[in-house]
Amino acid sequence: MGYEVDLRALIDRELDIGFPGGNELLDFSDALLGSKKSELDTSRLALSESLGPEAISAAAIIAATFTKNDRVANGTGIPAEPRMMEGSDDIRELLGLKKYKSAINTYRHM
Amino acid sequence: MSLYDDSTYPVRKDIEDIHADQFDQLKTPGTWGTSEQRLTIINEARQSAYHAGTLEKPTNPGIVPNVELSDVARRVVKRLAIAPKDMDQKFYNQAIEDGLTDSQYVEIVGLVARFTCFDIFARGIDIPLRPLPSPTSGPPSQKRPKEAVIEKAWVPTIPNFPEGGEISKVLFGPWQPYIMRGLSLVPDEFTAHFDLEEVQYMPSAHFLEFDYQHHEGLTRPQVEIVAARVSALNECFY
Repeated sequence: MGYEVDLRALIDRELDIGFPGGNELLDFSDALLGSKKSELDTSRLALSESLGPEAISAAAIIAATFTKNDRVANGTGIPAEPRMMEGSDDIRELLGLKKYKSAINTYRHM
Repeated sequence: MSLYDDSTYPVRKDIEDIHADQFDQLKTPGTWGTSEQRLTIINEARQSAYHAGTLEKPTNPGIVPNVELSDVARRVVKRLAIAPKDMDQKFYNQAIEDGLTDSQYVEIVGLVARFTCFDIFARGIDIPLRPLPSPTSGPPSQKRPKEAVIEKAWVPTIPNFPEGGEISKVLFGPWQPYIMRGLSLVPDEFTAHFDLEEVQYMPSAHFLEFDYQHHEGLTRPQVEIVAARVSALNECFY
């Protein structure tokens, strides 16, 4: 699509992710899971100005969905399927995913 | 009046309808918990989040039943609600050792995951948490699928067909990944979780179409940015 996306911005908020609305989406996600209501209000306004009011509902439902899925995955100890692991080693390394406590649920089967 | 009438941001009708249905289902008993116990679990999760500052207490929280949860149930609810990154097998094993059954544990995981989802959504669109409904009496169904076995998760799961038998064909179709089957020890929790996924993330039939857009306000790459960041914050490897 012609964008130079920097995936490291997903874990390093000092970096620019390089995708339209991406930084506003990251700020909104952080604030939505965080404890500062004022930051949430500020990030919601910035996201609405950047991508429009529909983006608020859409980003909120995606964040909500993944808060659900993360609890299901981390709470039941499921492993990632082999097909998900294939070819994803570099990106899991880049993003530091192997350091998560939940990583053992997959690696104990490999 | 519909569930999200007070939102200034547009909410798709299919999202509003499924959330309203799942709030409504709280009025009836679950598989292992009564209606009152299930409402108490959700209220306990909310209390933990208020205390942590990650949810704002609404002026009308709805009905809060006067049911005492066991210490182990409260411990599991609290950890799931505010520190899902700290869940590990030792914590699960201790919960079982302290008296929860594996089925009760899975029902708690499903309930807390789904209602945290609804509460985070409400916070995201800047409306108060929806009030909890009044419980009705009645016993839980206590139906445990005999096909559930220990595969690769901590908890028993129903395998995909053919190992999972007829129930797996009915619940899963040809195949489902662990992120769906993780709750299958309690089939009603699996179904509720699966139905939300189809509406909230995208229909699974479109999952591999990378230019498919399910949400008016966000392209697929923008959806994945939010998904990846949230999972990073929750330290979810899956």
